[in-house]
Formats: sequence, structure tokens, C-alpha cells
Amino acid sequence: MAEFSTSVKDKGDVSIISLKGFLDAHTAPILETNFVELINKNRYKIVVDFNELAYISSAGLGVFMAFIEKIRENNGDIKLASMNDKVYNIFDLLGFPLLYEIFKSEDEAIKKFLEK
Amino acid sequence: MKYINGKIGSRITITILGILILSLFLYRFLFFVKDSFLFFAINDLLVITTFVFLSFYLLKIIKEKNPVPSSLVLNIGLINVFIFLVIIFSEKTLNLLFSNISNKINNPGLIESLIYTLYSLIFLVITAYLLITFKELYFHKQDRGNKTYFIAMLVFLGLTSISTLLFPSPEYDFINNTFLIISIVLIVINSIRISWIAFIVKKEKISLLLLSVIILILFIFNLANSGTNDFNGLVLTNFSPSFQKFFNLILLYGAIYFSVLFFTILFHIPTAEAFDRKAKEVSSLQYFSKLITRVLDFKELAETITDITTKVSSADAAWIDLFDDKNLKIIANKNIALVDADLINQFLLESGICNKITETKICNLNKFINKSSLSEKYGSVVISPLRSYNEIKGYLIAVRKNELIFYDEDKTAISTFSDYASVAIENSMLLEQSLEKERLEKELAVAREIQRKILPVKDPVISNLSIASVFIPAFEVGGDYYDYYNISKDKFGLVIADVSGKGISAAFVMAEIKGIFESLSRMIESPKEILTQANHILKDTLTKNYFVSALYGVIDLNKGEFYFSRAGHCPAILIRDGKVTTFRPSGIGLGLTNDEIFKENLEEFKVELLENDNLIFFTDGITEAKNNDLEDFGDERFSQILINYANENPDKITNEVIKEVITFSQEHPQYDDITLVILKWNKKNNLNGDKGWQNSAPQLKTKVM
Repeated sequence: MAEFSTSVKDKGDVSIISLKGFLDAHTAPILETNFVELINKNRYKIVVDFNELAYISSAGLGVFMAFIEKIRENNGDIKLASMNDKVYNIFDLLGFPLLYEIFKSEDEAIKKFLEK
Repeated sequence: MKYINGKIGSRITITILGILILSLFLYRFLFFVKDSFLFFAINDLLVITTFVFLSFYLLKIIKEKNPVPSSLVLNIGLINVFIFLVIIFSEKTLNLLFSNISNKINNPGLIESLIYTLYSLIFLVITAYLLITFKELYFHKQDRGNKTYFIAMLVFLGLTSISTLLFPSPEYDFINNTFLIISIVLIVINSIRISWIAFIVKKEKISLLLLSVIILILFIFNLANSGTNDFNGLVLTNFSPSFQKFFNLILLYGAIYFSVLFFTILFHIPTAEAFDRKAKEVSSLQYFSKLITRVLDFKELAETITDITTKVSSADAAWIDLFDDKNLKIIANKNIALVDADLINQFLLESGICNKITETKICNLNKFINKSSLSEKYGSVVISPLRSYNEIKGYLIAVRKNELIFYDEDKTAISTFSDYASVAIENSMLLEQSLEKERLEKELAVAREIQRKILPVKDPVISNLSIASVFIPAFEVGGDYYDYYNISKDKFGLVIADVSGKGISAAFVMAEIKGIFESLSRMIESPKEILTQANHILKDTLTKNYFVSALYGVIDLNKGEFYFSRAGHCPAILIRDGKVTTFRPSGIGLGLTNDEIFKENLEEFKVELLENDNLIFFTDGITEAKNNDLEDFGDERFSQILINYANENPDKITNEVIKEVITFSQEHPQYDDITLVILKWNKKNNLNGDKGWQNSAPQLKTKVM
């Protein structure tokens, strides 16, 4: 199966997880680990950068659902950024834009966090 | 039979022995005159015959016990102690019991004669026993080729013994001496061949060394006190001069044998440890090769490997590292704490000193800065790569404590062993993988079975509607679900859904979905309301990262209307007059959010149906089917086929779509389930509603790729 990798960086209060490759049932645990680690560090302001993500399956979408409640309870949020059309379409079909804020770029997402 | 023969044989031997001994007694009582040659000749003949029979009898008894050399040596020692005691105390004791018996040796009365004969018989037995024991010792772990020497020795011992009888006059002394010298030479030759020593472990060698000194001293003492001038010697000479000589020769043999034995052991002791280790190594490897042919638990195997490593080398502790992705993971440790093993791993394998080794290597911890944080003072380390198919899978590592270091022999032993271990680990891992694969396949088979059972068996045939569907399961169950509901005479319901996730868990959620929709469709008519209720149930029961996309719709067969709601599912497509219309009313997937937000964002959409309208429902298995370039089949290809075949019946359309999808993605494995349902509205071909159900024939449900 195709490869998937993530990288995490911090910009002040906000943590950015950048995704690369194919996110599906088999690679989802990698992203889950990233979320668990950030939550353990009490970092709840998270931007997920989809710029290099080629594909996401329903199991991949499930990862965001698994952590969103806990993060919002702690006054944080997951904001999604830089999706290509195909990935956005998958999110859109499921109604994710109604549940998550989705931004054109990583910077816009970070800016949104700082406004508050 | 053999057993019975043996029994009879031993009985006969005993009987003959009894007769012989009895005749010895009688003979000695009847003939007091002891100066004729004839008397001595017959006397010795009797003694020799008795001795020979006695020896054979004892040989049989000893053979049955199948003794080890050390117990034979111990027996010799005990007999020597006995002889020693007899020599010291017999004269005094006998004198006490039978006044001044020792003065009557040369001229005994009846009682004295009886006692001396008995005394001599005891020595006859002892001598025979010693001879047999020496014979057993001699032949232990010897090959047959050396038999000649032993027999030659026996012959010359015998000749030396009777030579005095045959040639009593001093001028023939040289014959006597020649025999004696040859006997001694043969005794020495035979004593040198002590091959069993090598096979004894070091500890036993040391105790044998002590024992052999004691026995040697006893033999010398006994020999020195059995001359013709000593009481013991006198008694025996009187009994039979030849026997007295033979007895002395046997004692001589013993003295020589045990002095040789003493030195042999002495020279063996320095190498004993190495020999022990080699022996242990061989037996460990044998044990191990037996072990790996059995089905082994991986953990158990790893533990056995570390255990044997400490046995085949002088290592104090050992552990196994295996690569888990790119990191080393300790899978078994023997006599060492995990923390310590980890620290040593980091220092030697990760920091560069013994990094990337491909051959077994001796390393040391001299430059290890954190040495003080180890709980034991480890110093010398042997690292041996475990490989399979020329790829290094991990390392077998052994350490020694304190100032002790590993030598090249240890390295060789560990290296040899790690080759065995590599094979065993590889086998065990393959086995485990195949078991895991089998388990997964079984699980998936169960999941597919669940899915097959909850999907509709056939498409219904209903007036005003033609219905066709295709479902193609992916190898890993993808969670596609669809069903039809005959809500009322005029109303026909349909659901299509896709559960997130795969395999057995997806199959269980599907089963739950089936239950939910089956019951809701009976109670509620509005698609929006049904989906809202379904979301309400699923929000609480689904695991957080699971959700379900669904589309629920109802066709009013009377009014010719289709109304539906979409909860995150692929849109419904309408093909009318060669044109594609995609309906994608707003709606969030089931289980993603709370009732309020869900309901707020869920739209219900209504379509007035016209003659030959095609309604298409599908899952993303179609649009996301991939070719070898990872290109999606996509909406456009899908729409084009639908348009091309829009005037055909639904069966034909579904077949054409699937054919295209399969052709497109034939080089790429099907990753997700594929579901396609097509309804065609044709009021003109109106069948009478109720008959339709009865006439329905099973249709193509699934296609296998």
C-alpha cells in the first residue's frame, strides 16, 4: 500500500500536523499517535495541513472524529487546511465542513486561532 | 529364552563353583603331605579352575550392573581398604581366636587348615573381583583392537604365577624373571590406555584424582605386605604358591594402573574445563536442533536461545535484539536487566563502536561513560548478527561480568550458535505470520459471511419500477450496505449506506444498521426523520472514530414521486433524456454529530418521476476504483456510461457500469466494496403490483472479479 507520513511542528500555541501520502485504515494509527501526543502535552490548538495528502479514506476521517470532542472540551480545536479538491470533496460529501473549519492555507488557520 | 538360558547358565556356574570349592576343601584335608609335585600340580589345577569359574561368574554380575568407571574405581578402593584391614588385623585376630595359629601355618591341624583355606578363598574371590573390575575399566570406551594386549597380559600373568611351580630349581630363575618382566611391560602398556578419563566432567576428575592417590597408596601398602615373609603372604603361599604370586601381580597391576591414572588425570585437569565446555556446547546444540523442529512459541524460543548462549560460551548474561522497523527491540534477556541491556545496546549498536557489524565481534565497554549506571560490572561483549536471506534481522548479544573477557573460542561458539538461532527465529516468525494471516483470513471470511447474509437476496420486481443491483465485496469487507423496504402498497423504500472502517468491525456495524433501518422504516415514513433517528441511535452506540454515510429514499408508486435525504452519502443521480443530474442535498454522516446539528443540516429532496427516468445509487467503491496510475474511475467516466446506456433496462446498465469499472481497475486490487443500485421508472410497462413479487426471479446479485 502507498506510504503515509506526518510531521508535527509548533508555532506558538498552535501545533501543525502536516500529512503526506495516503491516509486510510492501515495508516490512520500514525496520525492517531500524533493527536495523542499533542493532547498529552496539553496542546489543543491543532491545524492539520493536507497540502501533500493524496487520498483519505473514511477510516482516515474517523481519526478527526476520535479526538475532536476532547479537544473542544479543552477550548481547543482541529482546523483543517490546504486540501486539494479531491480530498475536500470527500470531506464535503460527509458534511465535515459543517463540523470543522476548513481553510485554504495553513496560515489562515493559524490566524483564526490567534484571533480568539 | 535367552533369559532362561542365562538363569540356567548361572545356576550351573554356581553348582560347578560349589563342587570345585568343596573338592578344594576335601583335597586339602585328605592330603597332608605337601611336598610332592603332583600334590601342588593338582592343587593349583583346582585353584586355577575355581578362579576361572569365579571370574566368569563375577564378570556376569558386574556386567549386569553396567557400572560407570568412577564406581568401578570406588569398588577397587573399597576392596583395597578391606585387604588393608585384613593384612593389618588378621594375624592378631586369628591368634586371639585360635591360640597361636600363625605358628602353625606350615603345619596346620584340621581347624587351622579349614580357617586358612577359607581365608585364602576370600582372597581368591577378591582377586577375581579385582581382575574383572580392571578388565571392565580397561575395556570402557575402548575399541576392540586392544583386546590382544589385555589377553596377552592375562596369559603372562598366569605363566609368571605358575612358573615357580613348573621350574622350581633356581637355575631356571631366568624363565621366571623373563615372564615377570614381560608381564610388567604388558601391565604398563595396558595401564597407559585409559581413554575414559576424557569423558568425565571436571568436578569428577578432581575427586578421582584424590581417590586415585589413596588407592595407589593402598595398593603399594598391600603389595608390600603380601610377600612370602608376611603372614598374609605365608597363608596364601601355603594355599597355593601360584595364587600368591598371581595375587601379588594383580596388586602390582593395580599400583601401576592407579599411578598412571593419577598422572593422566593430573594432565587432563588443565584442559578439563575446555573439554567440558565443548561437550556442553555439543549437547546444547543437539538439544537445540531437536527443539527447533518442534512447533515453538516465539517467546519460548527466544528464551531458549539466550539460555543456551550462556551455556555454550562463558557468558554471564545474554539477550536478543530484533529490528522492529528500524529500531532494535529486546525480545529476550537472560541474567541481565532490560535497562542494562538497553544501555549496552545504545552504546555499542547505536553509537557506533560496534555499529553495523556484519560478523560476530568481540567488543568492550571500556569507553562506556555511563558504565556506572549499569547494575552489574559488565565488561566484555560478543555481538553476533542474526540474519535471514543475508539481511540482518537482529543481534544475539552475550556479556561477561567484571574483568573477565571473551576469547576467540567463545566468539566461535556464539557465532555458530547464532547461525542456528537465526534459522530457528526465522522459522518461528514465518510460522507466526502464517498463523496470524490465517486468523485474519478467517476473521474476514466471517465478516464477508455476515455481509452476504444481511444484504438482500434478490431485487424485488414491482409495478412501475425496474430494479437492478450489483454488489462486489472487497477482500477486506468494506462495509457497503443496501436494502429495500416494501413500506406499503404504494410506497417502496430504499437505503444505501457505507460504514467507515473495514473487516469484522465494519460487518458488525452493518448488522446494526440493518436492524435500525428495518425497524425505523416500519414506523416512520419521512426519510429525514428516519435518518435523524438513525443518527440519534448511532451517535451513542458507535465508537467515536466510526461513522456511516447513508441515503434513504422512498418512491411513491402512485404519485410517481421520489423523495430522499442524504446523510453524507454519495449523491443520487438522475438520468433523464440523456442528461445527468446529480442530487446532493445537505446532510452530515450518521454518528458524526449531535441530533440538533444533524437535523438542522439535513435536507429532504423530492423528484417528480418521468417515464424512463433512471435513478442511480452507489457507493464510492465505484468512483474511487483505481487504475495502475492510481487514477480514480471518477464521476465523469461513471456519468458517461450511464448516459450511453440510459435507454437500456437497469440490468444491462449495471452490467455495463461494472464491466467498465473492472476493465479500468483490473491492474489494481479492489480496495473497497462496490455497490450500485439502479431504479427505472416505467409506468407504461405496468405490471399488476402484487403479481410482480410472486413472479420475481433471482437476479444477478454479485459478480466475482
